[in-house]
Amino acid sequence: MARIRFEHVEKKYSNGFHAVKDLNLDIQDKEFIVLLGPSGCGKSTTLNMIAGLEDISDGALRFDDEIVNFAPPHRRDVAMVFQSYALYPHKSVFDNIGFGLKMRKVPRDEIERRVREAAGKLEIDHLLDRRPSQLSGGQRQRVALGRAMVREPAAFLMDEPLSNLDAALRISMRAEIKELHRAMQTTFVYVTHDQAEALTLADRIVVMNDGVVQQIGTPDDIYERPKNTFVASFLGNPPINYIDGQIESTDGSTARFRRGDLAFDLPASIAAKLGSSHGREVRLGIRAEDVDETAAGAAGSVIRGKVNSILPVGSDQFLGFDLAGQELFFRVGKDLAHNLGDDVALSVDLNRLHLFDKDSGETLLW
Amino acid sequence: MTDTVSPSGRGRRLRQRFGYDERNAALFLAPVMVVLMGVAVFPILYSLYLSFFRIKLTRPNQTPFVWFDNYTDLFSNELFWVSVWRTVTFSVVSVSAIAVIALLVSLLLNQEFRGRRVLSTILLIPWAIPYVANALMWKWIYDSGYGALNGLLYQLDFIDKYMIWLGDQDKTIFLIANAFVWKEVPLATILLLVSLKAIPADLYQAARVDGANIWQRFFHITLPAMKPGFMLVMIYETMMAIRHFDLFFILTEGGPGDASHVLSWHIYVETFRNLSFGSGAAMSYVLALVTFALSYIFIRTLGRRI
Amino acid sequence: MATTERANLIDDRRRLALSHLTRNVVIFVSAIVLMLYVLAPVTWLVSSSFQTEAEIVSVPPHWIPENPTLMNFEAIFGATAEEEVTYETRSGQDPASGGYIPSTAGNLLPAMGNSLIVATLVVILNLLVGVPAAYALAKIRFLGRDASVYFILVTRVIPDIALVVPFFLVIRKLGLLDSLGSLVLTYLAVTVPFTVFILVQFFEGLPDELDKAARVDGCSRFQSLVRVFLPLSLPSLVAVILFTFLTSWNEFLLALMFTQTEASQTLPIVLAAFTSDFTISFSFINAAGVLAIVPPVVVAVIFERYIVSGLTAGAVKG
Repeated sequence: MARIRFEHVEKKYSNGFHAVKDLNLDIQDKEFIVLLGPSGCGKSTTLNMIAGLEDISDGALRFDDEIVNFAPPHRRDVAMVFQSYALYPHKSVFDNIGFGLKMRKVPRDEIERRVREAAGKLEIDHLLDRRPSQLSGGQRQRVALGRAMVREPAAFLMDEPLSNLDAALRISMRAEIKELHRAMQTTFVYVTHDQAEALTLADRIVVMNDGVVQQIGTPDDIYERPKNTFVASFLGNPPINYIDGQIESTDGSTARFRRGDLAFDLPASIAAKLGSSHGREVRLGIRAEDVDETAAGAAGSVIRGKVNSILPVGSDQFLGFDLAGQELFFRVGKDLAHNLGDDVALSVDLNRLHLFDKDSGETLLW
Repeated sequence: MTDTVSPSGRGRRLRQRFGYDERNAALFLAPVMVVLMGVAVFPILYSLYLSFFRIKLTRPNQTPFVWFDNYTDLFSNELFWVSVWRTVTFSVVSVSAIAVIALLVSLLLNQEFRGRRVLSTILLIPWAIPYVANALMWKWIYDSGYGALNGLLYQLDFIDKYMIWLGDQDKTIFLIANAFVWKEVPLATILLLVSLKAIPADLYQAARVDGANIWQRFFHITLPAMKPGFMLVMIYETMMAIRHFDLFFILTEGGPGDASHVLSWHIYVETFRNLSFGSGAAMSYVLALVTFALSYIFIRTLGRRI
Repeated sequence: MATTERANLIDDRRRLALSHLTRNVVIFVSAIVLMLYVLAPVTWLVSSSFQTEAEIVSVPPHWIPENPTLMNFEAIFGATAEEEVTYETRSGQDPASGGYIPSTAGNLLPAMGNSLIVATLVVILNLLVGVPAAYALAKIRFLGRDASVYFILVTRVIPDIALVVPFFLVIRKLGLLDSLGSLVLTYLAVTVPFTVFILVQFFEGLPDELDKAARVDGCSRFQSLVRVFLPLSLPSLVAVILFTFLTSWNEFLLALMFTQTEASQTLPIVLAAFTSDFTISFSFINAAGVLAIVPPVVVAVIFERYIVSGLTAGAVKG
């Protein structure tokens, strides 16, 4: 049971690499936090700092109210699941799962009971005498989970635990991990670069880039109300489309986005937030799925272009769309028949537009 | 969270400077460092110190400080230069022979054929034999009265009377080099085999498709790929050769005359027979510096970080 | 048309067969030559050790003993034999002999015992000192790691002849001259860098995550080393044990400096002493030589795989 707090935490390596910059994060007890970002963004370093596997260069890390900066891993009550599973090759599955308890001097019969219970839940009880080398990838993953589960730790840390599994298994394991969190009633910190995992699992997502937290929020916050273009681009498939342009004629109640012939009448809710921004250079974001071809588009919400490419993805299709030389991608229904080179008009859902400052990339809306 | 550490006060600052890992690393490395400081670094520095004194155990109460006299004496000592020359001859001859033989043997052992495993195991025998036993064996082979070399050459009619091989000033150093080579070839072969095995097979297939014949493949693929292995063998064996002592001690004691009076033998005689520790230390230091220079090249050329 | 094509095909096939044959002949001949090169000197030594003194001095030599005898070996193991083999008893049986069995023959077995004690202690100390160091260098990121590696690397290349003078003076000052302790101490210095490099290389090959998992599971650094890394590093430990054992068993120069009496003389020293005495029986010396060769060769042949991997790792790294 732990609340984990980062206060102005810095991580600098001796080679000068600044992995984490001024991290402030308050992880609530029993919360499921996902650290999301591209490789090298500092998310794994952050996780390792919680585990005690990396030193903290500056700032404070608190478990509940205690500063734990200097506690080595074996004196922290955390369990961890690794990308490579890191099972002990020389120990049986039973001993792998029970090792953490043994090291913590839990009585033998208690170890026996807890290992069998965890193995039962994970449906690996028939494998307890095997060696890790005799297991499939999915089974190893379960052993790694079991090893962390039996510990009943104050915090459960996972470093890309699913990325070595094949696609089908990955999706079913997501559900199991979510169930595990519900059952264990403990704090989970989960590192991934996979937006889908983050959106499915997290209570809150922490998006990181270059060692800096970009945004902290619920999956809904992160996806619907990205704070900057990095967050907006990192989530969404295909990625969000950007069109650079200017804000015209805003008097606080109406506003228009214009770029050459293309113009959108921004809804009042957005216009209200823009204030007097006449002439401001902005970057407009349209999520790939926020267009509709069937709805009759009112003037000021239509975008016209040429079909450049068509990528069917089973349930939908991705439309590569040429807008005056700029390539945009939209997700449309697969029953819409288009040929390469066709001129199409798509109506944009104006209420779901995103607006960013063109230079800073920060949102203008929330 | 009962067992977490909550650093406070004085302890906290200390721990910040030297984290848990630093303290453990220091603890784990301490024994090695103590051993190496005591039995490697200290002697090296001590011998530097000694080399500035005139120390003769025959005159234990007079050990004047003589600055660089031991070194200047050294360089004006004719026998020293003879020993340097002998060492160079011995090293050049044996290292080139080792390189050539090891190349041939490694090419052979890189082929697939029946009995290859057995052959490579047999090859380890010279490596495992103690140098003293090796010396004893060759001394017996070279023996002037009853040795195998005489016997064999006599039976094959190459010689008409038994020769005193090790007594021949022109041959001694080469005969000793032969004994050295015989023992060192296995290690050199193993090192070369590693670089041979590292050559990807598709390189040869590609060359074949390009129409390269066996010699072209050897000179354009095999040899260049073996270059690092070769460098390693050359430098490692050079280091072994210039410091070698055992064979000279048992086979010839530096003789006949000064025909096998190599540097390591010279140091031994100077130190333990003439008991002048100062000049012995000075010479040791020269030898150590030469070896350091060589190993520096060795590290730079291979450029491997561990 | 078809016939020439067929003829070409046969021709090609024949050429291929021929080149296979050439290859096999070349390999066969070189293998034989190599075997002779390696085995002939040793065989000759072994053969001589089974000859009487009368036979060994025949000209030209007998390549194969005509009357093989164990007399030479009995002289060494003679302490337990009914009749002590000495110059007198032996020249009675072998009147042609000009050589005699030295009184130091009886020192060979104690010397082997000394060698065994020294080598065993050096192996144990190497492991105690080298294993934690290697773990720290491989798995702990700390300030000064690279410097430590370089330092150990440098000590590896110091020629032992350069250490002899200061070693001697220090050992003398410590009062350790003519003791096994002096040998253990100095051999440790010679072998430890190699041990560390072999083990560092092996530990680096084990995934970092294994170490992290162990520590999150509740292991201190030391427990992670003992409970996770050591059980996994058996092959490299075997290589280290073999290598340090053989090095100590075979070492000569330092033993020559520091030992004076049979209390501390190791096998190479006793052996070397025989060779400098022209009056000693040749066949006896050869038997002693064979005895010195047999243990290390047997060990090397049995553990060939580990030795080869250790040698390549050690040489490449250091």
